[in-house]
Amino acid sequence: MAKKRPQRVRDPLHNIIEFGSSEFEQTLWNVIQTRPFQRLRRVRQLGFSELVYPGATHTRFAHSIGVFHTARRLMKIINDAGGGVTHKQDVALAAALVHDVGHGMFSHAFEEVGSELKLKMAKHEHVSDILIRNGEIREAFKAELGSGFADDVAELISRRGPVDLYDAVVSSQFDADRLDYMQRDRLMTGVQNSGIDFTWLIDNLELGEVPVGSDDEQSGSVPTFVLGPKAFHAAETYVLSLFHLYPTVYFHKATRGAEKLFSTIILRMFRLVRDGLIAKTGVPANHPIVLFALDPENIERATALDDAVFWGSLPLLANAEDPLINRFADRLWNRRLLKCLDVYQHIAAHLGAKRGSSPDAVRDSKNRIERATVSVKEAIEDWLSTDRSDPPRLLIDSAVREPYKLFDESKGALNQISIRRKGSGIFDMAELSPVVAALEPFRLLRIYYSEDDKDALKFALKVIEENENKESDHVC
Amino acid sequence: MSVKREREKVAEIVRDAGGQIVGRTRLQKIAYLLELTGQGEGFDFEYRHYGPYSESLTDAVRVASAFGLIEEEEHVAKWGGHYSIYIAKGGGDTRPQSARAAFAKAAAQIGAVELELAATAAYLFEVERCSDPWDETSKRKPDKIGGGHLEKAKEAYRQLSSLDTPRPLPKIA
Repeated sequence: MAKKRPQRVRDPLHNIIEFGSSEFEQTLWNVIQTRPFQRLRRVRQLGFSELVYPGATHTRFAHSIGVFHTARRLMKIINDAGGGVTHKQDVALAAALVHDVGHGMFSHAFEEVGSELKLKMAKHEHVSDILIRNGEIREAFKAELGSGFADDVAELISRRGPVDLYDAVVSSQFDADRLDYMQRDRLMTGVQNSGIDFTWLIDNLELGEVPVGSDDEQSGSVPTFVLGPKAFHAAETYVLSLFHLYPTVYFHKATRGAEKLFSTIILRMFRLVRDGLIAKTGVPANHPIVLFALDPENIERATALDDAVFWGSLPLLANAEDPLINRFADRLWNRRLLKCLDVYQHIAAHLGAKRGSSPDAVRDSKNRIERATVSVKEAIEDWLSTDRSDPPRLLIDSAVREPYKLFDESKGALNQISIRRKGSGIFDMAELSPVVAALEPFRLLRIYYSEDDKDALKFALKVIEENENKESDHVC
Repeated sequence: MSVKREREKVAEIVRDAGGQIVGRTRLQKIAYLLELTGQGEGFDFEYRHYGPYSESLTDAVRVASAFGLIEEEEHVAKWGGHYSIYIAKGGGDTRPQSARAAFAKAAAQIGAVELELAATAAYLFEVERCSDPWDETSKRKPDKIGGGHLEKAKEAYRQLSSLDTPRPLPKIA
């Protein structure tokens, strides 16, 4: 039989990504041709970020191929260290390629809707699991790699945390996913901070062993990627770069404001559909969003949704009978986003520690800021629960992004960044870098309001000031 | 009647557990097992590296600490890992011991690794419908099951199952 010819993809980040003539890489090429994978062309990596950064229109399709390419480079390090176990390696590389197939429209914005409505099919991990184990992707894997291969790939992804080095290629602090999206998002948004020294990091990556346990108990040790001593500063930059992408790109106030409009529209559509009021949504009864709302456990209906479907619906939604849907859809269609009041920044400016404060005063100040932030959020939520305006006069957005830390209760030891220090063993990044150790979580509480509704803004400011004054009275 | 805030819920869990819980993993797993036995506070859990995990519980801990409802002490374990101790303001619950408090106290006495394994197996059975949740737990946590931890986890689970709870733990051990 004639040897199959290699296939090439021209990528803006990695340049040429080749799928070689081996049976395995040709199979992955076939997986890319499946409908679930091609659907990723219609799910943008950064959702609404292009409303802020016009270049950020890259898709999960391009990212997924980039993750595979990066995973292949990481795998070479394992192979060079003599750790090549072909099946596990192939499973991890395949998982790197298909790890995102379950993402819904606007990714995490849709997941938030799903979390509120308890929709399993809005969780990308769940959808990925079904898509990999069944249908076209399973068949593409099975044709050359056997019937159990798809299940092995799905199991690796569903573990939600690495248990060995191969898993760490797919999911860890230093995984192929992150190494790709950090660089790709920076390139496509055009932001000039958050650059990483990718080549140097990869060149200094070694294998090592770190202890693992739970709380105060050790349970063993596991092999992991370790950075050599010469990569210390590159690793420090890597941690800071990732953290900076949050305020700069992922948590940008306009992007988050658009996401709030989107999630509020979808929540209202679900309510109307469930109440039998489809006509008020502005879209026909056979529209993919309506069909999904009617049968949210149906995988076909879940995957019929993508960014393109939503954008294409907006002219119809902007003419909906429902006042929330028509106003918010019109805002998204014409990029007339709601105004933003950054509550957390307002409070931090008033209650933040003064210059020259003692460590105790700094700690006290942080607690005061946290209490005031929580109290403002609760007061506004209470007000919204009694105000009958439609659409609601204020939308609340709250989030916390933890920086890299010594321990994360949702992740494991393989999710830590380990550095080998010449002559003294392996350390956690945060043990060696005072800069990394000192990072504070990025916290946001923002309120979105209509430019016409000065009273709502006044109310929010009054609540903020009351709580700032209350906490100011508590100053030691 | 005022609504109980998340921060108050987490502080009550710590109080019920005797006023102190050693470790974030223990706190998460105790809260999950309380949910599973019908004694919970309504926190949502999903599967993460250490098993059932609730992001909203983590948020509630941070807020409870800022409001002075619990105190968090950070420590370094002998093995090099980092862990926290949560102490409820005013110590443990002085009211006559409720079934929930008896359960939370018993769970808090279990080793962190065993409790993680037990809660994970329960989650895999309950949510992911695994027919052999202990086998699946072993596959997902190969670094945790050695040294007799898995057997001890099953024994701990049996002990918790024998306690009086509104809803029984799934019969998996």
